[in-house]
Amino acid sequence: MRPSELAALLRHHVVVLDGGLGSMLIAAGLPGGRAPEWWNLEHPDRVAAVHHVYVEAGSEIVHANTFGANPVRLAAAGLSGRCREINLAAVALARDACAGRAWVAGDVGPTGDMLPPLGTATESELRAAFQEQAEALAEAGADLISIETMSDLREALAAVAAARTTGLGVHASMTFAVRPRGVFTVMGNPLVPSLAALATAGADAVGCNCTVTSTEMLAMVREAAPQLAVPLWAQPNAGQPTLTPEGVRYDADPEAFARDIAAMVAAGARAVGGCCGTTPAFLASVRAALEGATPR
Amino acid sequence: MIESDEVLAALRQAVLAGDDGAAGRLARQALGNGIAALDAIEKGLVPGIREAGRLWEEGEFFLPELVTAAQAMKAAMAILQPALGDGRSPAAGRVVIGTVEGDIHDIGKTLVATMLSASGFAVADEGSSVPVARFVARAQEVGADLVCASALLTTTMPKQRELVAAVRGAGLPARVMVGGAPVTKGWAQSIGADGFADNALEAVTVARALVGRGAPV
Repeated sequence: MRPSELAALLRHHVVVLDGGLGSMLIAAGLPGGRAPEWWNLEHPDRVAAVHHVYVEAGSEIVHANTFGANPVRLAAAGLSGRCREINLAAVALARDACAGRAWVAGDVGPTGDMLPPLGTATESELRAAFQEQAEALAEAGADLISIETMSDLREALAAVAAARTTGLGVHASMTFAVRPRGVFTVMGNPLVPSLAALATAGADAVGCNCTVTSTEMLAMVREAAPQLAVPLWAQPNAGQPTLTPEGVRYDADPEAFARDIAAMVAAGARAVGGCCGTTPAFLASVRAALEGATPR
Repeated sequence: MIESDEVLAALRQAVLAGDDGAAGRLARQALGNGIAALDAIEKGLVPGIREAGRLWEEGEFFLPELVTAAQAMKAAMAILQPALGDGRSPAAGRVVIGTVEGDIHDIGKTLVATMLSASGFAVADEGSSVPVARFVARAQEVGADLVCASALLTTTMPKQRELVAAVRGAGLPARVMVGGAPVTKGWAQSIGADGFADNALEAVTVARALVGRGAPV
């Protein structure tokens, strides 16, 4: 999908995205400490099964299992020098699983290396890492590139610059929290100016994902949508995690989540889905809520 | 005395502003003016870092401001600590810190490591996704007083329980402190950890209480 095609799609149609992938892989047996990217090689069938259930639930864009598949993070996961191989495998299995019923987004997450003052990485090092991954995703046949969970605007901009060189449509989201003086990333990047900067840098769609509940994200969408000229994406978490005797649970109810998502669409969001803790049940509820039907 | 007060105020301000060069210079100046190292720490650095923490809580400061404040404090501590001259250990305590295996979210852990280091602890930062066995091996190697483990994912929290058991099982004298967004005091108690901290400043207070020696913060 070229940038103009992604922009046109989101202009004419509200797109249902997918939900949490990592949490689903853990539920499928991914051991603690094992990077999810390993499973593109070790258990492609289990990764494909997650993509498949999201498509069945109504997801129209599915994120390939490449969130940590940049060379910096792969090296930390024991997959040094295998960026191209991993991204090729992940996109291929996602395309097979979607079988033409959903677009496949190449997922790009943070490198884990910090720019000063928190770390010693340079913007050109991050850019080079993202470039390697973006080129592999494009070669693999990803329909678009989806940058997510960025907390440092400088790193997000490096990822957008790399993604843009592929000629594919680009989405870029950052992870914000509600602070006493407004909505910011942990690095202090404010909501609307950060998203506007990503759009100016060439992202065809921008948004928020992770960290917050659907109710908090609804407030962010209401603040940002009227001020942005590009389509807005929103992928909140399934509420906040709580500890129970049976283990850890996210506290959101799929139907309440879907009501917030419908309100985000009413406020101007053009692509909606879930992040950590969301499951195909959440996406099915979202799909139903957007279609005006009673959520299952 | 006026002059000393001015140096202490400038030291406080250098920490707050995250100016490590000025903090180091002022620490030397304080000693040169005959200010006791302990006073420079207690009346200069500590109020500075506490103010930075307060501004963080109020949403005025973000991670970069808080971290540079800690780095400025560390620069001053490097000069003041050897001048304490009261027979205390040069380090407030030896710490091994990391996020538990499977957890690559390390901003909070890095912040705690920075604050502990700024406060005079000798910190071995093992990074993210650290296997329990490596925590134990490093703790043995450095003679750790304290092992700190962060878990930012509810799915990785059980590793903290394994860590407590492994540290005890290895017969190490080190205490164990846990933290991370989903971690609560109740969880820490239920797994038998020695300490829990809700934020990086509290982590320093708890670490000092657990280790029980070194420069006061």
